[in-house]
This record gives sequence, C-alpha cells and structure tokens, in this order.
Amino acid sequence: MEIQGQQMTEPKAGPGLFKRNPPIAGEAEAIERAKAGDGEAFSKLYALHKRRVYTLCLRMLGNVSEAEDMTQEAFLHLFRKIGSFRGESAFSTWLHRLTVNLVLMHLRKKGLQLVSLEETINPSEEDAPKRDFGSRDVQLSGSVDRVALERAVASLPPGYRMVFVLHDVEGFEHNEIATMLECSTGNSKSQLHKARLKLRELLRQPEPMISGEMKETAL
Amino acid sequence: MTSHNEKNDSPMTCAEFQEHLPELFAAGSEGAMDDPKLLEHLKTCENCSALVRDLQYIADQARQLLEPTHDPSDNVWEKIKNSMAAEAPTPDLEKI
Ligand SMILES: [Zn+2]
Repeated sequence: MEIQGQQMTEPKAGPGLFKRNPPIAGEAEAIERAKAGDGEAFSKLYALHKRRVYTLCLRMLGNVSEAEDMTQEAFLHLFRKIGSFRGESAFSTWLHRLTVNLVLMHLRKKGLQLVSLEETINPSEEDAPKRDFGSRDVQLSGSVDRVALERAVASLPPGYRMVFVLHDVEGFEHNEIATMLECSTGNSKSQLHKARLKLRELLRQPEPMISGEMKETAL
Repeated sequence: MTSHNEKNDSPMTCAEFQEHLPELFAAGSEGAMDDPKLLEHLKTCENCSALVRDLQYIADQARQLLEPTHDPSDNVWEKIKNSMAAEAPTPDLEKI
C-alpha cells in the first residue's frame, strides 16, 4: 500500500495527458501565490478546478453527497500539500491523481476490496459480454452523443466504470491505474476492454433500454 | 464465423482474435498489428472489424466526457473555507 507516498509523486506527463490538461491562463501565478498562503489565490484554484474534480468524484462514486464530501477532501488535501507541487506534470493532472487516490482510499475504508476488484466486479457468466457479435444492424460510429455515453457510463458496474473513467476519460495509463487500484496491468487492460464491450452493448440498445432508472445526479 | 480444421496455418477464429483485443488496444497504434494472422482476421472478418471500430469509437468519444458539466454546491466551498481557516488561521484567509 503505497498510496500515501505515491499520492504526491509527479510522473512526467505524457504528451497525451498534457493535451488533455493544457495549462490554464493565470493558473501558474495562482499556484505560486497559494503556496505562499494566499487565500484568494487558493479560491481561484478552486474556481478553476472544482468542476472537473467534482465531476471526477461523481463519476467514480455515483452519488452527489459522497462526491461533494470527496471534493472537499481533495481541496483540503490540496491546501495542505500544494507546497509539494513542483510543476513536473500539469497541475490538473496532479490534482486529479490526488483526487483519485483519496476516492480510492475512501472506497477501501468503506470496505470495497479494490485488490480483488477482478472478482468483485466480474459479472457472472451470463452477464459477461458476449464473445460473438452476431447482429450488426447498428453502427455505432457517429451515432453516440455525449448524453447517451454519459448515461451508459453511469450504468456500468462500479469496477468497470472506475477503469473506464480513469483510462478513457481521464487519460491515465494502465500502469498508473494498476498502481492506484492495486491490481495488475493485465487486469486493468482486461477491465477496460470489458467496460468498452459493455458500453457497446448498452449503446446499441434502443434508448429506453439503457438500464432502467439512471441516477440523473450521477451524470 | 471463421471455420477451420488444420492446427497451424488455419485462420484465426473470432474468439481467438478477440482474446488479443485488450492487449491490442493497450498497445495502441505502434506495432499493434504485427501479427499477420491478426491483421488477416481483421481484414477478412466483418464481425470483428465492426467490433474494433465500435470499441475504438467508444474510446474516442470518451474524451467528450472530459469536459465536466456539474458543479458542486456552494456549501462545499464554505466547508473548505472553514476547515482551512481552522487549520491555518492567517489574516489572509479571512478575505476569501
Ligand atoms: Zn472475427
């Protein structure tokens, strides 16, 4: 369990991550001022990043009150640790990694065994994505809008959703996800694949079929 | 979809092809398809090529979700502010 130590490390951002997290105007200055204890600068950082941090928490946790609690935790953690930010990766990348680790710790405390993620979230055989895709009546390409995708993602089993959000949405690499989830990179890759298969299945269904009552709030 | 009998030079089945998919996607574009049998299957099997196209499409679309649409309620910032003030009472923080 290296969460504590790892939380504040700053692996070099790959070009992909950098593209996802371009620098924000005025951010660097606000970071420097916040490091020096400037409260106004910290509130600016909060304003700049609250949406993405909160949305990330919401997607990982699936409910508003926990997501708000973890958003609060994340920014308090930031407040305490901002001095250790060295600018080796994009600030948002760093902040998101911190947030993900806090959320995962929270889930572990709640008793979710992330180590045995594979078992806990592996769907039963009948639920498993089918290997053979017979009907090809629906072409996904070009047909999926943001709302439909968001809904489908929200209805994924939690373990699938976690890996999908971390990899495909947030842009983390499999080795980072494996470390965060304490699983193998092989696990991470296969969970991601299963998540995408499940999404494909969900997205090919006619709209109302997408798993009953989606929590609007989790979208 | 693909049926075959011989062991060695037989074409790959869909199931065999799909077993490689998690690794293939993870490898990205670099050298992903260096196995000619995989490439051959992908080129000749409509089923699997549609699957690969869809999964790639889903992965690409996921980036749309990076733009967040939801804000935390105002009392989240209130709580953060209060906790910060309690932890590090500096005159500066009162201005927030
Ligand atoms: Zn095939």
